[in-house]
Amino acid sequence: MAVDTTPPTVDVRARLRQVPVQELVLPIVIIALIIVGVIIRPGVFLTSDNLLNVLTQASITGIIAIGMTFVIATGGIDLSVGSVLAAACIAGGLLAEYGSWMFMFGAIGFALLLGCINGLAITWGKVVPFIATLAMLTIARGLALWMSDKTPISLIELEILQGFGSGRVLGVPVPALVFVAVAIAGWVLLNRTTFGRRAIAVGGNRSAARIAGIRPGRVIFAVYALTGLCVGISAILLSGRLASASPVVGNLVELDAIAAVVIGGTALTGGKATVTGTFFGVITFGLIFNLLNLLNMPTEIQGIVKGVLILIAVALQRRD
Amino acid sequence: MRLPRILVLGVALAAVTLTACTNEAQQQPQQPAAQQSSQAQQPGGVSGRAVKVAFSAPGADHGWLKAITDNARKEAEELGVDLVLSEGTNDSAGQVSQVESLISQKPDVLVILPNEGGPLTPIAQKAMQAGIPVVNIDREFSSPTAYRTWIGGDNYGIGKAAADFITNELKCQGNVVEIQGVAGISVTELRSKGFTDGIKRCNGGIKIVASQPADFLPDKGLQVMETMLQGQKKIDAVYTHDDDMAMGAVQAIKAANREDEMFITGAGGSKDAMNLIAQGGLYRATFLYNPSMSGSAVSLAKLIAEHKGLSELVEPEVPSRIELPATTVTKENVAAVQNLGY
Repeated sequence: MAVDTTPPTVDVRARLRQVPVQELVLPIVIIALIIVGVIIRPGVFLTSDNLLNVLTQASITGIIAIGMTFVIATGGIDLSVGSVLAAACIAGGLLAEYGSWMFMFGAIGFALLLGCINGLAITWGKVVPFIATLAMLTIARGLALWMSDKTPISLIELEILQGFGSGRVLGVPVPALVFVAVAIAGWVLLNRTTFGRRAIAVGGNRSAARIAGIRPGRVIFAVYALTGLCVGISAILLSGRLASASPVVGNLVELDAIAAVVIGGTALTGGKATVTGTFFGVITFGLIFNLLNLLNMPTEIQGIVKGVLILIAVALQRRD
Repeated sequence: MRLPRILVLGVALAAVTLTACTNEAQQQPQQPAAQQSSQAQQPGGVSGRAVKVAFSAPGADHGWLKAITDNARKEAEELGVDLVLSEGTNDSAGQVSQVESLISQKPDVLVILPNEGGPLTPIAQKAMQAGIPVVNIDREFSSPTAYRTWIGGDNYGIGKAAADFITNELKCQGNVVEIQGVAGISVTELRSKGFTDGIKRCNGGIKIVASQPADFLPDKGLQVMETMLQGQKKIDAVYTHDDDMAMGAVQAIKAANREDEMFITGAGGSKDAMNLIAQGGLYRATFLYNPSMSGSAVSLAKLIAEHKGLSELVEPEVPSRIELPATTVTKENVAAVQNLGY
């Protein structure tokens, strides 16, 4: 080692450079939040009950954020997820009289369909993702309101569906389990399959990807469809939790999901993505909501804290 | 290469679902086109023709606003009023241009539920100056010169009535959590203030241990309530600013198995809330803020155009302000008001 010959300051800098700052930012933030929580609300914050509550609350946005990670990996964006979530809830709700399984079929099928339309508009229609999904944002919200006649649909009869929303397996709420399962599946898909590598390749350099034999159109179509699928899963959990399908749910979920992906370390320009980071990003926002709520902080403070955190986290990640 | 084929299958399945969904949607009742159908049947209108009322409200994106437009249509049809109804914008600037185009159609009376009172005040004043009386619903214009008559609910009264109900039920002793509407708007502020003023009579016996906004949305109501349940080990009552939002909170309380510990109250008077109140148990009361007020507004508009007063009153003219009481709805009287549910 060259420790003896180099001046100490340079040594410290060199060592600091080796520290993977990008990957450590969020875990450090999360640990800091937990410490703050323990100090301020001892006996309430750090209980398994409350932490599972955080995970459950994060699940709806979290599952969508996993899909969003793939979209952003290709250099795209999906602004429509919040509205598609509402439309999927209503599509399922219209089939509610045929039982829980038909509800789920309707919700997943409709979200997948709208995701595919996003994909087609972007690949086949050559509309830029921002505009294509912005259009879908207004279309899907309109569909949700029109299909429901602006009235929530009660799902109180659907016991299996409510089991998915508020049931527990071995003491763990089902939405939390589904979130963790989707996150693991997302990690495998991104890091251990050709599909994941292709998504990143397309986002990094589309012409190079094409020369390497990848057909970017197919990959891009698939990531929007995948996000639709994730939204469908979230729709099932949300409707189960609320025991009703409402056309006004999912307001601004797209921004929460995008923010979680970005503070996780996925580059908005594409070509670099991390599912683990997204998972931590979602948990970070979940903890902030939980903590500020337990402290009975006014909502404007929550907005400020969240925004400042996004700035700091992304600035630290972009340092070198 | 296997993935795209799976997706194709998914699209096919989803297409089937879509067909099913649209079929379902089409079965739902279509909005009546009241505007045309009832023109001829008005004998005593303004110089022999039907009274023409122009109606502007924000886009009906949730139950209460939808009921507002529905009730206006229904009342117009019953009274034989020629109603020109425009809705659809959720920003004040958009509504201003909407009202401008309504004025150019020269209605006898203009009925406005403004998105925000302040920004719509100048255009309403312009209409009044042009000789078109304005009936103002719900959110009040910032100057009394902007309307001939205002009709609306009593937001402060909702908070006050809820405080009366909760303090009575709890005999002035207990912990209350409050789930508010959208932060920073007058509806939320008044419903909150009425409540805090109302519980003062207990001299601190009733404590608001937590208070958070959930934006009138059911999914946010669920999340906020879940976290409050974590933070508060003993809750006796939950005061919410809205029935739809309260439905989310109800689910959170049920999931935590703490239904016996507390009760919840709503506001507005939705059908779902009234059904739960009739069943008894967790959901114990709601306080009316009834969208029937738009029907009354259309009826007032007709009287103003015909230069008539309210027949039960001695005065020959329609009053300039009508504030509707925040009627307390409990299991005892729910049957009498259930028809007003939206």
